[in-house]
Amino acid sequence: MRRFIIAFIAAYIFLFVWGWLLNGILLKDVYAETPNLWRSQTEMASLFHWIIIGQALVVFSFVMIYASGFAGGGIIAGIRLGLLLEIAAIGMRLGFYAVQPIPGKLIVYGSIGAVIEMVIVGAMVGGIYKPASVRQP
Amino acid sequence: MNWNKFFVAFIAAFVFLFVFGFLWYATLMHDTHREVPTLLRPEADLKSYFGWLALGHFVMAFFFTLLCARYVPSGRAGAGAMLGLLVGLVYAGPHLISFAVQPLTLKILCGWIAGAVIQFTVAGAIVGAIYKPPTGQIMYVKERLR
Repeated sequence: MRRFIIAFIAAYIFLFVWGWLLNGILLKDVYAETPNLWRSQTEMASLFHWIIIGQALVVFSFVMIYASGFAGGGIIAGIRLGLLLEIAAIGMRLGFYAVQPIPGKLIVYGSIGAVIEMVIVGAMVGGIYKPASVRQP
Repeated sequence: MNWNKFFVAFIAAFVFLFVFGFLWYATLMHDTHREVPTLLRPEADLKSYFGWLALGHFVMAFFFTLLCARYVPSGRAGAGAMLGLLVGLVYAGPHLISFAVQPLTLKILCGWIAGAVIQFTVAGAIVGAIYKPPTGQIMYVKERLR
């Protein structure tokens, strides 16, 4: 349980910082091209707790999946899990692109950023979380 | 990897994800989505973007099925449903973040979260029921959180 909590906290801190760097700094100008799609800065600040809860939910579920089915594979298994989850999420993002007037370059840059994010999250969780024992029949 | 069963499971997952998506998001939530018209493309434009929607579901179904096939306790509907539930929660997180940055209503947020959880739980159960890994490749992890 201790390693689960450490993996969760470490991955959460990374996700929070990376999310701020990617969306708040690097892609700031791309977001600014479509102001009608986003809330105002004041509104976003008042709803900031939803971002914290959302990121915590992503990391908690990720560590749960890793612990219940990928633990024992170490960093490589964590990276593999991150990649599979994120490439499937790119499919979901394409679905959003089909129905929302989101600029194509935001989908591309956002997806690249998210793949990097999930690979690092996977490596961190795989490196920190270790199962009690692994056996093969 | 049992490729024949993987292919059947992938097709089943693709069909389910696509049909569920159409029923839940495009039909049941149609009026709810239209409460925020700036958020969506005009109905007339949607047809020209249908290819992206189909490609998105194809990619999603393929990699979700691959994830289920790589999941250690795979081979049963229950284990697949549990994985699907957790995957649904992973994808529900970004919906909460979207609510903070996009002018979504609370009704849309709840609909998206419920949709993701139901969609992936059922898809996981379908894949788990169809896909059976070769027994030699099953690795048992004796789990005890520490």
